[in-house]
Amino acid sequence: MMEEQLAKKLNRQVVGSLVGCVHCGMCDESCHYVLAFPDDHKMTPSYKADQLRKLFKANHDWTGKTFPWWVGADKVPLTDDDLETLKDIAFGTCTNCRRCTLSCPMGVDTATLNRIMRGLLAHVGVMPEGVRVVSKDQWELGNQMGVLKEDYLDTLEWMSEELEEDLGHDEATIPVEKKGANVMYCINPREVKYDPRTIKEAALIFWAAGEDWTMPEEGWDNTNFGLFSGDDQLGGACAKREYEKARELGVDKIVISECGHGFRSTRFEGVNWAAETEPVPMETSVQTMLDYIKEGKIKVDPTKNPERMTFHDSCNNARSGGFFEEPRELLKLVSMDFQEMYPNRAENYCCTGGGGAMSMSEYTPRRLESAKIKADQIRATGAKVVVTSCHNCVDGLNDLIKHYKLDCEVKQLVNLVANALIIEEPEKIPDELKPGDLEVKKVAEKEPLAGRKILVVDDEEDVRAFLTMVFEDAGAEVETATDGDEALAKAREYQPDLISLDLSMPGKDGVEAFVELRSDPATEEIPVCVVTGHPEFRQVIYDRPVPPPEGYLGKPVDEDKLVAYAHHIVEHRKEKAN
Amino acid sequence: MHEVSTALHTAEVVHWISLVVMAIVYTLKIRWLTSFTLAKDRSMPGNPTQSDKKRGARYSLFNVAMPWSMESTRKPKGFIFYLSFVIFHLGVVAGITLAFVSTIAPDFLRIPVVGWTMIVFLVAAFIVALYRIGRRVLRPLMKLISTPDDYFSLVMLTIWFGLGACTQAYLMGIWGMTSENLLIAYLYLTSFFLLYVPFSKISHYLYYPFTRTYIGRALGQRGSYPVVRG
Repeated sequence: MMEEQLAKKLNRQVVGSLVGCVHCGMCDESCHYVLAFPDDHKMTPSYKADQLRKLFKANHDWTGKTFPWWVGADKVPLTDDDLETLKDIAFGTCTNCRRCTLSCPMGVDTATLNRIMRGLLAHVGVMPEGVRVVSKDQWELGNQMGVLKEDYLDTLEWMSEELEEDLGHDEATIPVEKKGANVMYCINPREVKYDPRTIKEAALIFWAAGEDWTMPEEGWDNTNFGLFSGDDQLGGACAKREYEKARELGVDKIVISECGHGFRSTRFEGVNWAAETEPVPMETSVQTMLDYIKEGKIKVDPTKNPERMTFHDSCNNARSGGFFEEPRELLKLVSMDFQEMYPNRAENYCCTGGGGAMSMSEYTPRRLESAKIKADQIRATGAKVVVTSCHNCVDGLNDLIKHYKLDCEVKQLVNLVANALIIEEPEKIPDELKPGDLEVKKVAEKEPLAGRKILVVDDEEDVRAFLTMVFEDAGAEVETATDGDEALAKAREYQPDLISLDLSMPGKDGVEAFVELRSDPATEEIPVCVVTGHPEFRQVIYDRPVPPPEGYLGKPVDEDKLVAYAHHIVEHRKEKAN
Repeated sequence: MHEVSTALHTAEVVHWISLVVMAIVYTLKIRWLTSFTLAKDRSMPGNPTQSDKKRGARYSLFNVAMPWSMESTRKPKGFIFYLSFVIFHLGVVAGITLAFVSTIAPDFLRIPVVGWTMIVFLVAAFIVALYRIGRRVLRPLMKLISTPDDYFSLVMLTIWFGLGACTQAYLMGIWGMTSENLLIAYLYLTSFFLLYVPFSKISHYLYYPFTRTYIGRALGQRGSYPVVRG
């Protein structure tokens, strides 16, 4: 079965890479896994690629078919144990970052070979659970995080409302499904689910630039798990959804939000997987924002971003997309203190969150260990902010910053541009202002959770105190619990409007407590926002056979973000109830 | 025409026949490789200011002469390995030259500057080959990724370099090397290689232009080749 599938995936470039390796070992130290595990030689890229090479030689190479043991082609047929080992190698020890390819004297594209191996394994149903679930969601729901259409549209509406509040008028509303616009903006579902502020910031920039733009109702997910799972059919289907929607709306171009693999899969690989003959014009939002500044459509004040910043190149943007000067140019325009990271551009090290690694929680400890070189790179810059143009990199870098206790945070260029944006529009004042309106509005803005009851569940005293303070400052009435059992008891008795739930706790942990909350008729309707120091547990909780949590935030949590999330969740619940 | 013994003549004939067989097998191998579809990148160039397929291919093809172009050959440890690569392959060129020229114009190899250059290349390559055997046998990483073909090819090449140096010494009449059998043995060993190489990893040089051009075009189209460092 795998042999037949392999035959379908062979082309001249792939065969060249399969027969070209001379086992010189020069690729060894280019890999972040090798650097982190110098005594585990199975981490070396040529060893990983040899797993596919063995299959190829046994089936397609004359010497391999005739004298398999002589050229290392003696490993077929594959047993279940072999398949598990291959899964561990292809998914758990390589992020397909392609760095080794640049270090190979023969030009062997090991990352492509590893992706083919992933595809063969996925074809016979052998893959990490996270990859399986995400691929299924992308096939069935059209986006990799299983975001429902109503939730997506609701989030756009929420962000439009926030923009209206920020600007004092409704001219920056997010247009949806507008025909004939110049730009169709596609995003990463992570933005809807975990970081909707980036959508708001992009909308603000589009509005400030006077752009004629829209977001589509369908085909809005620029990510593509086909790239990670090696499934070209999935890759083609995902990409086609965007292309066809762009044609249906008659837009001039697709602008892809800051997502490394989304950019690569939509802009390049998707065109090939979907066999597009006349690709829709596409560009990354970084290019769009840079052009706005250069063309004078928006003005920015770099002093708004005074901290020392460094830039992390996404592997998919830089090595596989040739996109590395433009983000630097933009970053220098919107910030005051840029410090280059070494090595950089096409030779940069992977954030270690690439290749779908963030969805494979079983490999998290290994992934974090392999991130040491990246942590060392960042530390050497002395930067307080690591800027990147990729959502996977944001998550990967956040994880390693926490793991290696680095004193910095991660931002994307959209955050910085929005922050530096000079808005010249005067704030509009409502025509008929009644006495007391301003005061009411001020109180509402200051205490968005006024009258709400929130249960904070966390075993760490300082975290409980922090969350309590944030919620109380936002006007909420707060109750606390220190473990799962206490949380369940208080939830039943207290009937809060929202539960802020930690996952890792002694005794009954947050995952167990969450499942029980969702299974008990007395508490099943209470919204839950997970606030955890283990963002990699995301998949664990989403895989439970109960409705997913309404929110999921990683620690350290931003105060404004926490309040915004809590406010949105309780308001949304109220709307639903109505 | 130089006068040769029957044994040497037979070795020369075998050598030329082997060369023809190798050429045929290589032709078949290239046909086999080109029988696979050449995947076309349908996407638009990645970066208008940097994307250039042809430039990427040229850069990729000649990176063998640019040790600074790859991190693996730029770092001190890698650069030493790169030097060993250069010496090793100069030895291969010298060995091939010896095999052919010795049958056509042996006097050319007796010109001192030519002869000594050949000896220097062959001896240096022999030493590097010994180092490479040690590296492959002693380094756990190399042991893990090596196949019997890798070991055999390297050992046979080491013997070939050594025998080549002795043969060149015989042609120059130095180091007390007086037996014609050295040249005969060298030609038979070369013939063996000509027949074996197409089926072994040594045939990598046949694929080199293809693999380097493919990756060069692919990354050139995207705009990440030639590699830019800041």
